Amino acid sequence: MKTRALIMLLALAASSPAHAYLKLGALVDGAVVDVTWRGPVRYFISDRGTSGVSTTQLRDAVARAAATWSAVESANVEFAYLGLTSAVPDEIDGRATIGFMDRPDLEQVLGATSFLIDITNGDIVEADIFFNTQFQWSVSATGTPGRVDLESVALHELGHLLGLSHSALGEAELQASGNRVVTATGAVMFPIATSSGTIAERVLHADDIAGISDLYPASSAISDTGAIFGRVTKNGQGVLGAHVTAFDPERGVLISNFTLNPQGEFVIARLPPGPYVLRVEPLDDASPDSFFSVPIDANFRVTYAPRMVVAPQGGSSRSIEIQVAPK
Amino acid sequence: MSRSLIVAALLTIGFPDAARAQVAAGQVTINGGLSWAGGYGIGESSAQLRTNAPGATPPPFTLFDVDSQIGATLGGEVRVGVAVARRFTVEGGAVFARPRLSFNISGDPEAGTQELEGESLQHFLFDAAVLWQLPMERHPRWRSFAVAGGGYLRQLHQDRTLVESGQVYYFGGGARYWLRGRPTSARSIGVRGDVRLNLRLQGIDFDDDVRVYPTLSLLMFLAL
Repeated sequence: MKTRALIMLLALAASSPAHAYLKLGALVDGAVVDVTWRGPVRYFISDRGTSGVSTTQLRDAVARAAATWSAVESANVEFAYLGLTSAVPDEIDGRATIGFMDRPDLEQVLGATSFLIDITNGDIVEADIFFNTQFQWSVSATGTPGRVDLESVALHELGHLLGLSHSALGEAELQASGNRVVTATGAVMFPIATSSGTIAERVLHADDIAGISDLYPASSAISDTGAIFGRVTKNGQGVLGAHVTAFDPERGVLISNFTLNPQGEFVIARLPPGPYVLRVEPLDDASPDSFFSVPIDANFRVTYAPRMVVAPQGGSSRSIEIQVAPK
Repeated sequence: MSRSLIVAALLTIGFPDAARAQVAAGQVTINGGLSWAGGYGIGESSAQLRTNAPGATPPPFTLFDVDSQIGATLGGEVRVGVAVARRFTVEGGAVFARPRLSFNISGDPEAGTQELEGESLQHFLFDAAVLWQLPMERHPRWRSFAVAGGGYLRQLHQDRTLVESGQVYYFGGGARYWLRGRPTSARSIGVRGDVRLNLRLQGIDFDDDVRVYPTLSLLMFLAL
């Protein structure tokens, strides 16, 4: 199993709670701001295919993945394909370029997204995506055994390109080799790829939809959704890096975020209104490096909030404290 | 005038309709008291992830299961009835209660089974009903009846932060006992007990199934 890429330029690990979902952030005048595009994402496709995938098939797979993000009703996401280019993805040229690259040095990386960010306001100036030709790719509608589904990985990388970071909503097992094998995911933005031949990750989860709706909210997303906020503590102290998952029993959806500061505060926003069960777990199903650039606390037991919490429509819940115990 | 005649005269003044043979159409009855509602489940749900299996629809991985219940509760009830015929009364009523919504967590290999504290809901029911007084009049102070009706349900979560609405339909029966006056009296006081079977549609529910629960009411009434 190969891991998906870390983002090449990370301004992650916000020092104050980001308002919902784990997003990329940039430090602007001492404050963390979301990293986003202004206006449509105008992109080029690099004019190079790979084994089993032509340039046209690459263009179409990326277009399908882009359409999946654009179809989220509660978000204003727009892509514009500008044409083929001879440029390669990692060139700093002020243009968003998506294409194949041969990166034998990144033997466990299927693809990666790099950014050029205006640090005066957090705007994305340029973002490129490459897919590693060290892997066998597939654009088959039903998937191809032994090959990685290009559309699924493009969907994940486009999530990064839009400003989303990784979600920890998934289950993985650590093997003796040191690799992690994913057993289940609850977000396209989970950092570990599913197995080759799988095409299920062409579909966004509720967690992805909440994240993108928080970054690019449609007017309906602001008025029709709610937020839950609170604090995770251990022995009276805040816990940094605790993974907090909100479960809506009525809709069966899972949406998560992290405690993002030393006080252990968290916010989960863009939730469909309703009562939620909150579950707190340590970040032990993926490498913490995929999420945080600072040390986090993973020494505590899985704990549920003592009561369910309501995300009110157009507002926020009362703060809830969830006390966890050491393992 | 003898003492017994004086008492009889006072009663006649106080309850001028006592001598009538039947309830006049238009008679208004005001009821108020306590209502107990039984608890019921509002659905089971599983927190599921998508497994790493080939195909477009791989089988799910269950992170944990949630079983939800609304607990039994005691509330307040008021009803106003208007007699439309000798044996038929049309009623409007309102019930307020604070039932507890609770959750049981199971199937989580990392946390074990546990019951969450839950929350106290605000539950309002506004209903209309038809009450039929049964043609069994063996005791001068007792009258039994059958009742059926339906209403609008409004349930509010924590601090009224979320409103969910639905409908309740019910049928049942009960009895009234006159403490003062008689069933045919225009001004009388008594107690009333109802047993109903309720069918609840929508409201706070995680499966949107029809829920069935019993209610018992004990009310004082004043017939005007």
